[in-house]
This record gives sequence, structure tokens and C-alpha cells, in this order.
Amino acid sequence: MNDRSNIGAAVLILLLPAVAGAQAIFNPKDWPEGKRGPGAHTWMAERAKLPSFTVPRTKDGQPDLQGRWGGTWSGDDIEEIPKFLDVTTPPWESWVSDPSDGKLPYQPWALAERVAHREGLGREVWSKDPTQHLYYDPQAFCMKSVPRYSQRGYELVQTADTVVMMLNWGHIYRIIPLDNAPRPSPAVRMWMGSARGHFEGDTLVIETTNLNGKMWLDSAGNFIGPNAKVTERIRLVSPNLLDYQATIEDPETFTRPFTLSAPQRRQGTGGGGANAARDPYAAESWEHACHEGNGEHEEQIKDLGFKWYLPPVPPRK
Amino acid sequence: MRHEEHEGRLATTNTKVTKGRTPRKLPPKLIGFRGVLPFVIFVAFVAIDVFVFSVAARAQNAPPPYTPPKLANGQPDIQGIWQVLDTAAWDLQDHGASLGVPAGRGVVVGNEIPYKPEALARKKENDAKRATLDPESKCYLSGVPRITFMPFPFQIVQQPDKVNILYEYNHTIRQIYMNGNPHPSGHIDWWMGDSRGRWEGNTLVVDSVDFGEETWFDRAGNYHSDELHVVERYTPITPYHMRYEVTIEDPKVFTRPWNMSAILYRRIDPNVELLEYECYAYQLEDQFTKK
Repeated sequence: MNDRSNIGAAVLILLLPAVAGAQAIFNPKDWPEGKRGPGAHTWMAERAKLPSFTVPRTKDGQPDLQGRWGGTWSGDDIEEIPKFLDVTTPPWESWVSDPSDGKLPYQPWALAERVAHREGLGREVWSKDPTQHLYYDPQAFCMKSVPRYSQRGYELVQTADTVVMMLNWGHIYRIIPLDNAPRPSPAVRMWMGSARGHFEGDTLVIETTNLNGKMWLDSAGNFIGPNAKVTERIRLVSPNLLDYQATIEDPETFTRPFTLSAPQRRQGTGGGGANAARDPYAAESWEHACHEGNGEHEEQIKDLGFKWYLPPVPPRK
Repeated sequence: MRHEEHEGRLATTNTKVTKGRTPRKLPPKLIGFRGVLPFVIFVAFVAIDVFVFSVAARAQNAPPPYTPPKLANGQPDIQGIWQVLDTAAWDLQDHGASLGVPAGRGVVVGNEIPYKPEALARKKENDAKRATLDPESKCYLSGVPRITFMPFPFQIVQQPDKVNILYEYNHTIRQIYMNGNPHPSGHIDWWMGDSRGRWEGNTLVVDSVDFGEETWFDRAGNYHSDELHVVERYTPITPYHMRYEVTIEDPKVFTRPWNMSAILYRRIDPNVELLEYECYAYQLEDQFTKK
């Protein structure tokens, strides 16, 4: 890690207090050569070894997925993090389970766009020169989308006809009707899209359309277009473990559909929950105002020459 | 939760007349065989009169009692999509119309907000400079009870130990805990405060403290300090209406506690669901992209 990337990382962290909070810290010195954090393939191998499990049911007969769930991936490059970027971002396996090479199957124009996004972040050669910058990670403005919301933990609540997901981060929520109600017209574009859910056996299937394409998949410039359809499959595979999969169909941007796979752990189980028994408030979700304290950073991002990200228009065939 | 037909019912009106005027005594000579009919008619009229009077008196004082449907855990079911139809977002008090502002009767009981003299001056200044001073102009979280009066729908989702209110405006969430924990110790500056709830009969009572000073009550500059204490009462009065009563205490700003009373309407339009109003995203996009 050279000095320049250190400064770059430091500035990135400075600009992203809301995003960088509550992440694990890794010391590069303690990180074995060649090690990768566990991503999609490791998770799928672990999942295959799990003993069979009878999913409990709600009083309405649905698989009971309720609870407070931890997030999925760290937020940086979803394809692979090849080297230490900073102490919160060690080398990591891809979260792409399909295709099996872990790469997003971009069309050539879209890959060129992604490359431009990443170069325009100025991560490798940090510069204060505004002409070096293109777009900043849209999440820095306290917004989320699907599937990137899942990167943060959420509380899942089920009623007879609705699944509700509530993130602590930025008070983002989703309300997912289970009755296949007609969606709004495609003219209605939303950051979190229009979601409709149903159960297939033990699996909650959520199909999301009407996205606005203004959010990246990660902080490294990977993206999907506004006409993408995101199909999430969420299943309880052991009492405290959710299998989360998101398949993205976006033929304008990709040559084929692709799937992200990750585990989500019940909060308060495993590491990090040691305080829960002593702190009666540990299971409460306290206010995470984001935009309200973000004005200075928004100004800095603007001063560094970053533009507002709008979804690129695919070339005409 | 999409709208579902509630099987709530209006409680049967009590028709038994328990007290009323005694019919005046009639001269005995009229109570012959042929005189019974007029007497019966007379008594019947008196009974009807007493009954009507009794019902009218009750209607003036309180709506007929309504029993909302219950959840499996016995709590009243107030889930669904709700919205105000008043103009309190513009001004909590009675106000006339102006460009972009609909006239409206206020929601403040008695219409007077008991500001301390110096606080009233600040309210007037807020109002005069609202275009730049109103926190809504920066798309900040609205605070309580202002978020209720915003002209956007919100959805209530109940859990046994928590009532969640999800608002379309700025994807705001209020999580009203009913898990036995008191307000956390120490003052905390939160935009939406710390809310603890309880059921009093069919009324959800929400006690909120830990507010910062940055939020207002409306677009007319009505404001509070960080000593704000809000008590809200959500009472279902029909399957489609809830009475929404608010008590405001803030000894730094007001000379005494004061009350608001409004109605929340259940949204039953076909296909109604919460969409998005991402105020700050639209504002930032505008700021970044304008030349």
C-alpha cells in the first residue's frame, strides 16, 4: 500500500462517515498472503454442507423469516477486491455466484462505462484536480436501492399480506405486498423500485422493477440499468442464517442474467452480540439520520468536481 | 399491508331510556276506555322525545364507541395506510389562503399556541424567513408531530412489542417501542425523537422526548426547543378514521402545555400503496446538475 493510496483511502473515509461506520477493521500485517475474505463461492460451499432444517412458520402459515438480520457484502467491489484498499476493505472473493468466474457479464459498452466510473472515482491516483473526477458513489448521498440495501442489516417483519424490511441505515425501508397487486406504470421510477413478493415453499421471492438506475451495486462503480428486474430469493437455512440471492436480468446492460449470493446472520448471534444480554436497548433500532449531517460532505464532493450520477443510455442497436 | 376490509362494527346504540321527563298526570275523567289511545300516543311521543334527546346529547359529547378489530395478540389493529386531510402542514392554526396555501381551520384546540413573549417573536421571524429557515426547505426529517401532518400517506405496521410507522415522505421510519424499556437516559438529539408506546383501551398512546432544536411544527414557523415532550393519542373511531390527539409540552418555549386534535383517514383508493418522495435526492440532483 503506497502513500498516495493511503491518502486516497483517508480522504474517502473522511467523505463517507455515514457509509464507513460500524465496519470491521483488518490489519494488513495480520492478513496472510493470498487470503481472500469469504464471498459467494465460499458461502455456497458452506450452505451445501448445512444439515436439513425445518423452517418455522408464522401463524399465517408463512415461513417465519422475521428478525434483525446482518448485512451481506462489505460494499466495495462486488466482483472481487484483489488487494487491501484500506483497513475496512481487505482482499475479498466475488459476491457473484453465477457466472462462476465471479465477473459481472457486462456488454462491452457497459464494461467501458464501469471502467470509466472506477477511474473517475480517483481511487488509485487520488487527486484534488476536479477534472480527474467523474461520479461519486451515489450512496454517499444517503440513498439506497435494490439489491444494494441488503448490504446493510435490516429488520424483517411479516404480516398476513406484506413483508416489511426496515434498515437502520438511513431509515430506508421496503414494503413488499404479497398479493401481486398491479404495479405502477413504468413511468413511475423509484430508488427502491416497485416490489412484489410471494413464497415458493420456504423461499421468499421478491421481484423488483420500476427502478431508477441511479444507484450503483457497490462503491466501485458496478451498476445496473433502470430497466433491470431484480429477483431476490431469501430462505432461512438454519435458525440464525438467511441465504440471500439476487438475480438481475438487464439485457440492455448485460449479456446474460447474473446472481449474487451471500449469507445474512441474525443480529445478536455469533460475534458482536456480547453486549446484548446486558444492554436492554441492544435490540432497538435507533435513529440513523444521514442527510441531515451530510451537507459538508455533499459540498466537498461537489468541490472535487464529481457529477451527479445518472444512468448511462445504452447505445442503439 | 394493503387495505383490508375491517370487520369492525359500530357498537349497538343503547336504546333503553333510563331517565327522562315524567309524563304529567292526566285528569282521571279522560282515562276511560275511549281515552286510553290518546294517552298511549302521548306516552309514546314522550318516550321518542327522550330517546332522541338522549342520543343527540351523546353525539355532542363523544362519538359512539367503536370497537376496532383485534390482532391475534389482543392489541387493537390499526394497521393500514393513513393520511390527514387538513392543512396543518401549512399552518397548525386557522389561516386564510394565499398563493399555494389552501385556507384551513387549524388543529390547535382553542386555536391559541401559548408562546412565551420572546418565543412568539421568534415564531414570527421564522414565518417571515420561512423560505430559507424552514428545515423542510433542506429536506430534513420532519420531526413530530409535523411528519403526521405532511400531505403524504403513511403506513402502520404492528409488532407485539413495537409499532412501526413508515412514512412516504423522505422514507421516514418511526419505531415506537412497547418492550418495557423507558426512554434511554440522558438527552439525545434526535430528529424524530425517542418514542415509547402503550395501549390505553383502544388508544395507542405514544410518549416522545429526545428531540433536537432543528425541527419545526409547520410551514408557518411554529417551533419548539430540545425540551419538547410530545404525547400522541391514536384512537380508531370508525374502520376508516382515527382521532389523532397531541399534547405539546416545552417549558422553554410555551407558558403551558397545549393540544392538537385532528383526524387520520384510512386510504382505501384502489391500488393505494406507499410510493416514494425522496426530497433530498431530488434536491441534490437539482443542485448538482443545474448549470
